[in-house]
Amino acid sequence: MLPFILRSLEAAMIFTFAGLGELVNQRGGILNVGLEGIMLFGATLGFVAAQTTESYLVGFLVGVLVGGLLGLLHGVFSISLGVDQVVSGMGIWIFSFGMTTYIGSPFTGPLGMERLPTVLGISPFFYVAVLLAVGIWFVLTKTSLGLAIRSVGETPDVAEVSGIHVARLRYLCVVVGGMLAGFAGALYALYYNPVWNYNFLMGWGFISLALVFFSMWNPFLLFGGALLFGLLWQLSLNPELLLPGLFSRYIWRMVPFAVTVLVLVFISTDWFRARWGATRPQALGQPYHRE
Amino acid sequence: MTRRSKHTSFDPDAFWADIQPGEVLLSARGITKQYPGGVLANDRIDFEVRAQEVHAVLGENGAGKTTLMNILFGLIQPDQGAIYLRGQRVHFRSPQDAIRYGIGMVHQHRKLVPAHSVIENILLGHPRAQGILRLREAEEEVAALAETYGFRVDLRAKVWQLTEGEKQVVEILKALYRGAHILIMDEPTSALTPVETEKLLESIERMSEHKLGVVPFITHKLPVVLRISHRVTVLRSGRVAASLDTQDADEQRLAELMVGRPVLFDVQKPPAQEGEPVVQVEGVSARSDKGNLALDNVSFTVRSGQILGVAGVAGNGQHELAEVLAGLRGVEQGRILLNGQEITRAPVLARWQQGVGYTPAERTEVGSIGEFTLVENVAMNYFWDPDYNRHGVLDEAKLRELTEQILEEFRVAAPGPHVKAKTLSGGNLQKVIMGRVLSRRPRLLIANLPAQGLDIGATEFVQQKLLEARAEGAAVIFISEDLDEILMLSDVVAPMYEGRVVDLIPADQADKETIGAMIAGSYQQQEGTP
Repeated sequence: MLPFILRSLEAAMIFTFAGLGELVNQRGGILNVGLEGIMLFGATLGFVAAQTTESYLVGFLVGVLVGGLLGLLHGVFSISLGVDQVVSGMGIWIFSFGMTTYIGSPFTGPLGMERLPTVLGISPFFYVAVLLAVGIWFVLTKTSLGLAIRSVGETPDVAEVSGIHVARLRYLCVVVGGMLAGFAGALYALYYNPVWNYNFLMGWGFISLALVFFSMWNPFLLFGGALLFGLLWQLSLNPELLLPGLFSRYIWRMVPFAVTVLVLVFISTDWFRARWGATRPQALGQPYHRE
Repeated sequence: MTRRSKHTSFDPDAFWADIQPGEVLLSARGITKQYPGGVLANDRIDFEVRAQEVHAVLGENGAGKTTLMNILFGLIQPDQGAIYLRGQRVHFRSPQDAIRYGIGMVHQHRKLVPAHSVIENILLGHPRAQGILRLREAEEEVAALAETYGFRVDLRAKVWQLTEGEKQVVEILKALYRGAHILIMDEPTSALTPVETEKLLESIERMSEHKLGVVPFITHKLPVVLRISHRVTVLRSGRVAASLDTQDADEQRLAELMVGRPVLFDVQKPPAQEGEPVVQVEGVSARSDKGNLALDNVSFTVRSGQILGVAGVAGNGQHELAEVLAGLRGVEQGRILLNGQEITRAPVLARWQQGVGYTPAERTEVGSIGEFTLVENVAMNYFWDPDYNRHGVLDEAKLRELTEQILEEFRVAAPGPHVKAKTLSGGNLQKVIMGRVLSRRPRLLIANLPAQGLDIGATEFVQQKLLEARAEGAAVIFISEDLDEILMLSDVVAPMYEGRVVDLIPADQADKETIGAMIAGSYQQQEGTP
């Protein structure tokens, strides 16, 4: 029972990092559906770098760096060039899926390094994730930077008239978002499941993306959602730990995705939109051109 | 000051210290701006505003008002001419420069973040809002500022919850809190109810007592200009037509200066020739796009040769009423009769075929297709007509002929019938839309905000056309937010508030105050409203 809970907390930690990055993105008005791709890249290059240099530090740095670069790439497409953000994001995902499979294949197999230490049975990064959620909430709601970011995500033209540099802030958001996603990927491949194989990430990026919508762009709700999905994920992997003998494990493995679909259906209902739709950043997904 | 270097040396407090009453705060000399394509939008414009002065800028659409306003606010740079603040030459390369130097702008289309609170909006972009926001402190300062000028607004409320008048107050406070000494107001009364307008005018008077210069830019509300301004500069075709003390001006004179020819103020309305009921609306209720009750048990009858003037502030159900009648919105309860036959659930095309004509308020989104030519746009009301459609093939020649007729009869300034609709100005587009609808000789005409945003000449023309339709025996449902216009054209006035028709008042018994109170919800019949 306890290991089950600890493992699900660690899964939640990864959802939280990736989701917080996407949340910052989206509060600034940029939708990045390529989150999965950035995580794949962060994970694969982080894995390769750590294994070749035998240094976790290098692995994580590489993960964060490549995440930031991909975020920047998405920024160039969606902010400077005004490309449809969904198209750019899907492009990043498809590109990443292909590239990481190509780069990672020769490294198929376990990482083969000593496990990272834990604090109270889980990764110390779990506590960092909690602090980060609090920190991002604080910055978004209590500081002038946060006010500016939220304004840019709601009504960029108003922000511009008020003296805010819209493009600069949006770049900041996509780069920070990319770095967090890259880090989340690296954490997955270097700690949570330190084995490289084909399609190792299994849609965690898409789940994180769904969590951001589900969270109404609130870091605390995002964390709550991450905990829930961490639990569901763990249930799908080792249902026998909690409910031995109930259903086939194939059904359990489907659960997180089925719940994702249900969540998306739920948040698309009129009822939900009327109640919570108002929290959506109004300019989300819309390119902004200075007049 | 003329250096194009950074502006760190500018100290607004020192710069604006010790303003003397009547001192010239801002002066613009010889402002000239030519756009690519040769349009001379501003031609050697001189303009100045003094402390404690309201100096209105008046002009029709296309007279160069917007260009001048954008130059004063740093959005565009003049080709020639200079701006001086207290005698010092300044260069505004962006609105941020203008704001820093003490120019404030109150936009016609509010520049506020709807999802944020009032105080957050006021702080957005403020140089003192660095790092952690001190909301409480800012709230106290803004509250004190509001107190000084007699504004009342809940600083914690979200902007989307506010009325148009309250939003405007937020914009004014935002500008003043940023240290504006010259306040530019773009069409300040355009979206306000009569009550809100009155409050605004009082506030402007109060502001002008405080060593500020206030510069309202106005298109056609001449009474407002006369009421609040001390001086008025009239622009026509990019030039200053006149700059005069308001006490020397009257409506007639200002209108002539604007248009360049004498203007009839009272469109001549012949006595009504009322006939049979054309449309009967009986207890109709309908919902808005958001799902709330937008029309609540509305009943009225409009006869042939009669204009029903639907008055109200935007968002009180007029829009839904127009759509329900045109067949674009479902009816929840009640029924609609046209010439005695029920059309409650009749599809749009059937209504057109039975003589309904509809000119939507959204000319570019609903009323026309910008990428289509004028002929194609006219065809939108004729494609099903057997005279113009033979076995599914449109008769191009006939449609072009019809379009040419419309362009001529409605005096549309367009190079020809084959230009795209998006190249037309708002006034000309509206004439095309009215033309294609009226050329069908509708029995029921639904005109939603037909003159909104048009200049004096086009407004007069549109109003004249509505009266002509009435004289020809059409029943006209005329929706407007302008009470003067409503009173001038209507035979019966229907003030709407929160989806209800408050009362049906024959025009000869209608007065502006009562109707103003009705559409603001403060009439005594409306008990229980805040």
